[in-house]
Amino acid sequence: MSELSYVGKSFRRKDGPDKVTGKAVYAQDVKLPNTLIGRILRSPHPHARIVRIDTTRARALPGVKAVITVEDTKGIKHGFVETPRYPPDQEVLARGKVVHVGEEIAAVAAVDQLTAQRALELIEIEYEPLPAVFDPEEAMQPGAPEIHRSHAKYAGPHSNVGGNTETAWGDVEKGFAESDYVREDRFECQLRTHGYLEPHATLAHWENDKLNVWTSSMGSFVKRAKLAKTLDLPYSSVRVHKTYVGGTFGGKIDLYSHEYCAARLSMITGRPVQVVASREEIFSAYRHAQPLILEIKTGVKKDGTLVAQRIRAINNAGAYRGSGVVVIFLAWGFTMIPYRIPNLKYEGLSVYTNHTVRAPQRGHGAPKVRFAIESQLDMIAEALGIDPITIRLRNARGAGEQLPNGDNTHRGGLQDCIRLAAERSGFLDKFGRDRKSPPGGTIRRGIGIGVSAYMGGTLIYPNGSGVIVKMNDDGSAVVLTGAIDIGQGSETVISQIVAEELSIRMDDIKIISSDTDTTPQDIGAWISGMTYVTGNAARQAATHAREKLLEVASEKMGVAADQLVLKDKVVSHRLDPERRLTYREVIAHSVATRRGDTIIGEGYWRTMRDEPNHPSLATTKGRWTENYAFSTQVAEVEVDIETGEARLVKALTVHDCGFPINPALVKGQVDGQISMALGHAFMEEVITKDGYTLNPNWLDYRMPTIHNMAVSEDADVITEQYRVGQPYRTKEVGEGLVSGILAAMGNAVYDATGVRLHGTPFTAERILDGLKRLQYQAKTARKAKSGTLGA
Amino acid sequence: MLEVNESTPVAARRSQSRLISLCINGEWREVAVKPRLTLAEVIRDSIGLTGTKASCESGTCGACTILLDGRPVLACLTLAIECDGRQIQTVEGLAEGGKLSAVQEAFLDQGAVQCGFCTPGMLMSVTALLRENPKPGREQINKALEGNLCRCTGYNAIVDAVLQASGQGVKPVME
Repeated sequence: MSELSYVGKSFRRKDGPDKVTGKAVYAQDVKLPNTLIGRILRSPHPHARIVRIDTTRARALPGVKAVITVEDTKGIKHGFVETPRYPPDQEVLARGKVVHVGEEIAAVAAVDQLTAQRALELIEIEYEPLPAVFDPEEAMQPGAPEIHRSHAKYAGPHSNVGGNTETAWGDVEKGFAESDYVREDRFECQLRTHGYLEPHATLAHWENDKLNVWTSSMGSFVKRAKLAKTLDLPYSSVRVHKTYVGGTFGGKIDLYSHEYCAARLSMITGRPVQVVASREEIFSAYRHAQPLILEIKTGVKKDGTLVAQRIRAINNAGAYRGSGVVVIFLAWGFTMIPYRIPNLKYEGLSVYTNHTVRAPQRGHGAPKVRFAIESQLDMIAEALGIDPITIRLRNARGAGEQLPNGDNTHRGGLQDCIRLAAERSGFLDKFGRDRKSPPGGTIRRGIGIGVSAYMGGTLIYPNGSGVIVKMNDDGSAVVLTGAIDIGQGSETVISQIVAEELSIRMDDIKIISSDTDTTPQDIGAWISGMTYVTGNAARQAATHAREKLLEVASEKMGVAADQLVLKDKVVSHRLDPERRLTYREVIAHSVATRRGDTIIGEGYWRTMRDEPNHPSLATTKGRWTENYAFSTQVAEVEVDIETGEARLVKALTVHDCGFPINPALVKGQVDGQISMALGHAFMEEVITKDGYTLNPNWLDYRMPTIHNMAVSEDADVITEQYRVGQPYRTKEVGEGLVSGILAAMGNAVYDATGVRLHGTPFTAERILDGLKRLQYQAKTARKAKSGTLGA
Repeated sequence: MLEVNESTPVAARRSQSRLISLCINGEWREVAVKPRLTLAEVIRDSIGLTGTKASCESGTCGACTILLDGRPVLACLTLAIECDGRQIQTVEGLAEGGKLSAVQEAFLDQGAVQCGFCTPGMLMSVTALLRENPKPGREQINKALEGNLCRCTGYNAIVDAVLQASGQGVKPVME
């Protein structure tokens, strides 16, 4: 069967009609009778000892039904990472000490919002403020305020080190010695938030010894595991229901305190409890992304061949471990995948500071790492007199190359991506044009390139996905999947795969999704593996059902199964299409002869069947994934040299995402990432002072609006195939593409102006400062020259 | 400072409710509202039409955009009590007789919907724009949608959807 009918086509979203008619139910839309409103009391201090908490007056306020502090919990800790090296480190409510502004201390449930708010004001807390530290390099110094002790296995001299990653490949010092040109640079990135439009919202209802939860999340099964654990309940007593999710971008993965509090308050009151975070709370107290400092030393041969690279990453990880130790591990991956570097050394440190806890954010470190490496690569190329395309092609990994972690690049199409991006954008014709001959006026145009690679479906709890395909008597199907549709289109993609494998129409398929009681377990929507992992589980389940259909039809028709074909809910003889059975007839025969089996297919998938549960975060040993997606992105920017304002005009993304199941959904991911990246590059920064967020709203934290939209084009280097009944590799397309384009924008600003920025965002002030410095340097150079001549 | 041993919940003693009439999507509804309640709260909580989204609740994102007497307004910044006797259209009122409007169809055809949370507000802003200006240019589209944030799509597909819905030569990209 070579012709594909459903996969590879841009079907409209399955959830689209619900979403354009207002019928889609998000967590904040679930209404239960008699619901109480929950509110959270948060720390006003970045670092303080809690001397005393008195909730008496709050409890006595009429309309208040429950007040909880850490004393009302089981004291069971949780963490984004829960491994022997990194055990759970965070209580659901603060015990004895607060370590960041906004840390959760108590929660109330009351009859309405105002009463709940008033109750919070009546909780009396006596604090003893402690010295706080916000800069990671200051926090590392001996004598800095200790937020938590440095990790027991960290052997270095620094304070507040929550975790570290160290690894090497080849001999980096020997590599530098053999290099013709070596340079060192330091890069920094700002604090950014996710900007999901749907606020965090949770409704919990404890009823008949069962906890029912509706919460805005990125994976129902992780929420269930962490709620059950912290509440000390069996998993079977916690049901996380499906809701639509209004954007996440990494910010809704882990257990959040308000989710625990809604659940606990419901268990105490026996009534539903709803907690919705305000936008100000989200900006001030919730998890943002991780600002990294990257120090990079790179050695190359004269022709641009990379010989050695040493990277040190310091993560401002906030007040608990969060995903801080994951990002310093992943930063190694983003370093070593795209280019062939024979000698590499990497050290990552995750440093506690009195900032809010950190979360992954789309790309989870990749944009910062690629911005640093790709910026430096352009500087190296310029110093050697090589163009940006040549130096990248010289070092880009090909297919099947071994990676330092023992894996290989499989059918990675990076070199094709670079070539196609250069050709499509006319890169070398445009590069350097405005610097060589500046046009009149104040607008300068520049072009830049960036390369990235991203892993898909890496192992983390729950590690795998299952799917069940239930055929109905009439040949239609109900598909049970734990996958959660956060906007990426999981329900659509899974339907396309099942439709293809069973040859039934998209409309014949109904999806039941992301409900921990009724659907099989699913990896969740945050490791860019939905289409690969859950998609292959869906394929397996549909294949299982198809094989059953064929077996029953073969028996009934007296024709060998391999002589039968499935098409549009009919099984027919390959050579004699008149000999046929409808699915309805086949299923009826199955029910009659197989004790009522209406034909149910089961399928399961996990990224790698032969690996332990996850690679070592500390040493990086172990394979991560079978899927490395590669990309090359080109940015064209305009900079006004009078005001310093820069904007992305056009982006080109050439990606190797494997086989695109739904090209229009892929394009949607590309466009969205371009937009997020341009926010990263030019606009967004959570500004804090002493741990307080100074711009906790969208007027002061500027996110891209329609006026900032850039032209976004994309092209696909398709390196994988889809064949019915065969496993296939789709690769990553939902996260990695915020990375190369960020680097490309930095390189394009340089191309337009000659200003090289080592930090994001590229604000007007920074660009103007850079331009002034260039003018000053030019002036002093002229003076020095004339001085020399005069002497 | 409030005394703690009062006999009634705090909120109940705040200002008195008033009965108002709202014509929502063509149906007259009577609701008792406190003066402090926003139109967004009344639409979502009292009437129960949750298609209108609460996102920033401070007028910065446009997710709660509804049409008040045909004009787009931010329901989170509008007091319900000001809307007595007025016409309100929400996202639930866009499809007529179960048939999606051209704007709704175009959003689906162009992939202009991802997570869907900005979608109701976007649809209302676009609907208002196209009633006023059946063939808007890019500048006019940008102006009409500048108050609606979308974090998923980068806006490209949304602009294409407006162009498709207004018959300006953009063809569906999804089937």
